[in-house]
Amino acid sequence: MTLPAPPEIAWQRLSPRMMLVHPVHELLRELPWLIGAVILGSTTGNQFWTVAVLVFTAGVGVARWYTTSYRIDADPESGQVQLRTGLLQRKVLSLPRNRIRSVQSDARLLHRLLGLAVLRVSTGQEAKGENSSGVFELNAVRVEQVPRLRAILLAGSAQPADAAAAVPAAEGTVLARWQPSWLRYAPLSVSGLLTIAAAAGVVYESGAVGPLRHSRLVESGLDAAQRLGVAGTAAVIAALVLLASVVLAVLRSLLTFGNLVLLRQADVLHLRHGLLRLRERAYDMSRLRGATLRQPLLVRAFGGARLDAVMTGVHGAGESSVLLPPCPVATTEAVLIELIGDRDVVTGPLRGHGRRAAARRWTRALGLPLLMGSAMAVATVVDGISVVPVWLWPAWVAVTAWCALLAADRVSALGHRVDGRWLVMRAGSFERRRDCLATAGIIGWTVRQSPLQRRAGVATLVAATAAGIKRYPLIDVPENEVWAVAAEASPWVADSIWAIR
Amino acid sequence: MRRRVGGILDGVDNRTPGPPVAGMVDPAHPPSRRAPLRWAVGSAAWWLLLAAGQLVWVEFDKRMPWLHILVGVVTVLGAVISVAVVPLWRYRVHRWEIGPQAVYARTGWLVQERRIAPISRVQTVDTHRGPLDRLFGLANVTVTTASSAGAVHIVALDVDVADHLVAQLTDIAAIGAEDAT
Repeated sequence: MTLPAPPEIAWQRLSPRMMLVHPVHELLRELPWLIGAVILGSTTGNQFWTVAVLVFTAGVGVARWYTTSYRIDADPESGQVQLRTGLLQRKVLSLPRNRIRSVQSDARLLHRLLGLAVLRVSTGQEAKGENSSGVFELNAVRVEQVPRLRAILLAGSAQPADAAAAVPAAEGTVLARWQPSWLRYAPLSVSGLLTIAAAAGVVYESGAVGPLRHSRLVESGLDAAQRLGVAGTAAVIAALVLLASVVLAVLRSLLTFGNLVLLRQADVLHLRHGLLRLRERAYDMSRLRGATLRQPLLVRAFGGARLDAVMTGVHGAGESSVLLPPCPVATTEAVLIELIGDRDVVTGPLRGHGRRAAARRWTRALGLPLLMGSAMAVATVVDGISVVPVWLWPAWVAVTAWCALLAADRVSALGHRVDGRWLVMRAGSFERRRDCLATAGIIGWTVRQSPLQRRAGVATLVAATAAGIKRYPLIDVPENEVWAVAAEASPWVADSIWAIR
Repeated sequence: MRRRVGGILDGVDNRTPGPPVAGMVDPAHPPSRRAPLRWAVGSAAWWLLLAAGQLVWVEFDKRMPWLHILVGVVTVLGAVISVAVVPLWRYRVHRWEIGPQAVYARTGWLVQERRIAPISRVQTVDTHRGPLDRLFGLANVTVTTASSAGAVHIVALDVDVADHLVAQLTDIAAIGAEDAT
């Protein structure tokens, strides 16, 4: 890699093509404004306003390009990366280079057409103080520059000077590649429904409902509704919404994850995906503290799972930590084994939490249904058969059976596995997760007991890390094993003056 | 007051598998003797505020006397429990201790927590004193690590004990500048 050597590193500008992108994005963002201006122009018969708003928006775009610049100090250890922005209020954002944990690039459609990409840098630290009040984002640079910039930026973190040198050239190993079969898991998420809700909200907000009400489509729909009756209409609408949400979810999944490639080059993990909006992430592997295999109930029913990274400097929940979207569980396990290098951690048997933890699952799931059932029975006995509607009984049986299944599932999920290097925790039914944590990354333990847990002789063990979601709880571990788990994982617990051998 | 503390990596990691750990003894030190009083006064203030609100309500709305009586009884019960019972209960539960490698504290009353953090990963040691703490000559110490879920809170210490504790922690931990993540 070549860097300008002199001590005073020159400030560099972003790609001048951004002068084309910013105004368009600006226009999209200021759409209400613009519509207002156009309406004002056409009502007053004076197009001056429209032109003025257009010129102003374009001018802001140019000014923003002109005032934004960045530089990267040469020294990866003590150097900084700096971003200077602001038209009226100048702002300089500085990050120490050795704090950079992940670098991601993101190119929306317009960016891609112009050969640009947004480069985002994240650090281990949460935003703190005035100098990191914003995100460090280079919006945008030429897409050809991205690999070089990424290599330079990631070279500062940890040690891998060799990795940085290897990145532009080496091919690396492909850990996973998107398959069309992954699409079958897409309809199982609620993203389609959310999209519909959002679209409905936008339509409603924009006031397009008024004119729509009198359109022919809606009129004919209303006619049909009258013929079908309330139940029929509800069924048809539900079916339509369901169908639309499935189609949208599949489409969205295809556009977001189609062409996903996860590959490993030496000490850097690369993830790229997106058909229209191309996103690329590079993670420093030395910051990987494990991973979470998540199986939402429906995805699990179809043999799927998703994989999240547990990494310092990367937000633990949401999109930034996603390594794999819902895909066959064998794929996620294979990738995880590749990352962790220990098959037993990923697929090995777990140690259950025993009878008392199981009893707690059962009482929690069945307590309320049993209470309701006995109340219904008492009411029937005391006030006669007519008090409780007949249909309530089959409904009660169904609910109770469902709760029982839930409890059984939760009991069978609960467990842990620990050795000197990895702590594995599994729990949950609706959102089953198997957290694999590197014990080296655990920097605190909490043992928590509610009065009921004290009576049952169990405790919740919480592993604290600086990575992922920070707090990894393991519920209802038998009281006499709980510290043994912590001690097995962390020598500093075993060797502490409080440990009872 | 906030002191920045660096970290040291534990030099020794000769993982000779000793016998399994059967449990942990509780940390040795209780909080200050004035702690229950401070907690009682702190919660009494809130209950007094609530009681005052109820008196105003009675003054302006004299319908439904049974409701006033019910709410009054609940308030008195709550106040007695949280002023007389809870502080003593907390005093019996709260314990803390600094070992050569770790900070260990036990907190809570109904729900109880024991939390341990390695001193080598300590990032900051904060001392916090609210108005009531000053009144009773107390201080609270928070030992933070890089995890938001791992901060050890040691509350209601005598000021000199807290100062000594902070100095001790800073001494043990202040070598090098690893980023402790």
